[in-house]
Amino acid sequence: MDEEVLTTLKILIIGESGVGKSSILVRFTEDNFDPDQTLTIGVDFKTKKLTVDDNTVKLAIWDTAGQERFRTLTPSYYRDAQGAILVYDVTNYSTFAKLETWLNELETYSTKANIVKMIVGNKIDKENREVNREEAMKFARRHQTLYIEASAKTRDGVQCAFEELVHKIIQTPGLWESFALNGNFQVDNKDHPSDSSSCYCSLT
Amino acid sequence: MAGVLTETVEPSDLKKFEKIYHEQLYKNDVTPKAQFEYAWCLVRSKYPADIQKGIILLEDLYKTHEEGQRDYLYYLAIGTARLKEYTKALNYVRSFLLIEPGNQQVISLQQTIKKKMEKEGLVGMAMAGGVVLAVGAIVGVGMAIASKVKS
Ligand SMILES: Nc1nc2c(ncn2[C@@H]2O[C@H](COP(=O)(O)OP(=O)(O)OP(=O)(O)O)[C@@H](O)[C@H]2O)c(=O)[nH]1
Ligand SMILES: [Mg+2]
Repeated sequence: MDEEVLTTLKILIIGESGVGKSSILVRFTEDNFDPDQTLTIGVDFKTKKLTVDDNTVKLAIWDTAGQERFRTLTPSYYRDAQGAILVYDVTNYSTFAKLETWLNELETYSTKANIVKMIVGNKIDKENREVNREEAMKFARRHQTLYIEASAKTRDGVQCAFEELVHKIIQTPGLWESFALNGNFQVDNKDHPSDSSSCYCSLT
Repeated sequence: MAGVLTETVEPSDLKKFEKIYHEQLYKNDVTPKAQFEYAWCLVRSKYPADIQKGIILLEDLYKTHEEGQRDYLYYLAIGTARLKEYTKALNYVRSFLLIEPGNQQVISLQQTIKKKMEKEGLVGMAMAGGVVLAVGAIVGVGMAIASKVKS
């Protein structure tokens, strides 16, 4: 509990309603899954500490509502975010097609130019898949985002998504500031060997 | 620390939605959407007077616009909690949970409010002062929603 916290990172979760944004967050923060997860009202907020490459950071995570009626105000929460998780549902093609719009939205409203983006294809536990992995990875590469497939229900990929995102943020110069301005924190800036974890994110 | 009870609205956002609301007000044609968006900004203001105004707009919406009632109740809880009117805030939360007992977002708001009260040493006070008021308020709001849900 009392390891030194290197910094606090602001992370956003965006995407269409019902794709499983809140479910992913609940899986990550509480290791729970609710088949009757209720749709988010406006914006929800949770924190969690995470240790990546020997650095402990505190994540301040804003989980936005995907429903249309909240869309005019949710972008005001994009300000100062260092990381964005864009979620779609692999069993619903239209939620994937909408990613383009969500990326534009980020482009317009996020204030940090080098914000780290990760696309998460959720609900891979389900049978009726509509978006194949190759197509999604191609899309992610084209838009220079990280990519991972996950299931909030079975835990697959969830922890990994946050770890990879934080790893990339810490590696991005100028994106975050350490609490201890003249402290001697050492951030491991070596290239992250892609086979060093059990994660199967594709870094582009 | 950031959180739903402490983050504040950007002044430029508040202005933007205030303008939309006032333009509609001028034409005497305020949509629930514009009123809600303005209220959502107001309850996140640093200034208690703004929050108060936001609460009034939300209370009005709550009475006049059925569709959004759960949203209004949620932001009423946030607004009153920000004004440190914790008893009221918890009543809104409880009313919500009567209708949707499993709502994690609202349960976590309830915990955040309780933690804040503990920090401020207000738990005992709310217990003593709140009970009588609380019963009336819960039953009132709860019934109002229940009847709307059925109809
Ligand atoms: N089978 C399966 N169901 C999931 C998964 N993730 C979420 N769900 C279900 O999908 C529904 C919607 O999930 P939410 O997490 O509320 O979706 P959301 O993206 O937060 O929706 P909004 O808050 O409206 O933006 C719920 O019924 C979840 O239980 C998953 O990985 N697998
Ligand atoms: Mg949600």
